[in-house]
Amino acid sequence: MNVLKSAAVVAALGFCGAAYSVDGSVTISSPAEGAKVGLSGVKIDYDVVPGPKGDHVHVYVDGEQAGLLRQLKGSYTVDKLTAGKHTLCVRVVDKGHTPVGLEKCVQVVAGNVPAMGY
Amino acid sequence: MDVHDLAYALNQVVHNFGAVAATAGAATARWSQPPDAVRPRRRLAWLVLSGWAAQAASGATFGAISYITFGRLPDIHGIAVAALLLKVACAVAGFSLSALYLLRESVWEQAGRRRAWTALVAFAATALCAAAFLRWFS
Repeated sequence: MNVLKSAAVVAALGFCGAAYSVDGSVTISSPAEGAKVGLSGVKIDYDVVPGPKGDHVHVYVDGEQAGLLRQLKGSYTVDKLTAGKHTLCVRVVDKGHTPVGLEKCVQVVAGNVPAMGY
Repeated sequence: MDVHDLAYALNQVVHNFGAVAATAGAATARWSQPPDAVRPRRRLAWLVLSGWAAQAASGATFGAISYITFGRLPDIHGIAVAALLLKVACAVAGFSLSALYLLRESVWEQAGRRRAWTALVAFAATALCAAAFLRWFS
């Protein structure tokens, strides 16, 4: 009887694990965490492995959706940022646009970045 | 086959048939029935009422499937939110008017009944257009 109970508990835990496990990943290769960026044309380079339930990605700037991307690897350019700290996120969503629990965020500091060279 | 996708698909079937019932029922009653066809129009009013009920229930179920699966509602914004609100408004108006028709049509003038069907066609057509924007601007 105890064996049966243990098996039931293990099965239940396994089921829960299967139901809530999230396979996949989101990588933001640029900008780096804490990077200083310009006030316009900020390019986010990302690479997504969507997992079994993911379909496409949404991009967020400070929690507001800025874009919808069907490509799982590529870049998205944020047109304008105000000076100061901002959070840029890439979130995997399903076919019905519901977040599946996979996301990556980076904080950046926007400001006037001096031109390169002399 | 993913259970979550299957749930979305089956719910979409109900949603689509609801749209067909609401639109075709209203259009048939408005244009394809003789003025004295009282009983056929009442049957069509029931069909339209059921169509709007199916639309509302399946629309809410889309959100419920997302919430049950991921603990979140769909992440839509801008035009998509406006389109969703328009669809909800059409469903409320379509359901209410078709219910009102069933309750009160016997005391309405012919012109009033015609206006009701015209309005029901307009609600259905508006909801169909909004659905397209909801789909592609999400």
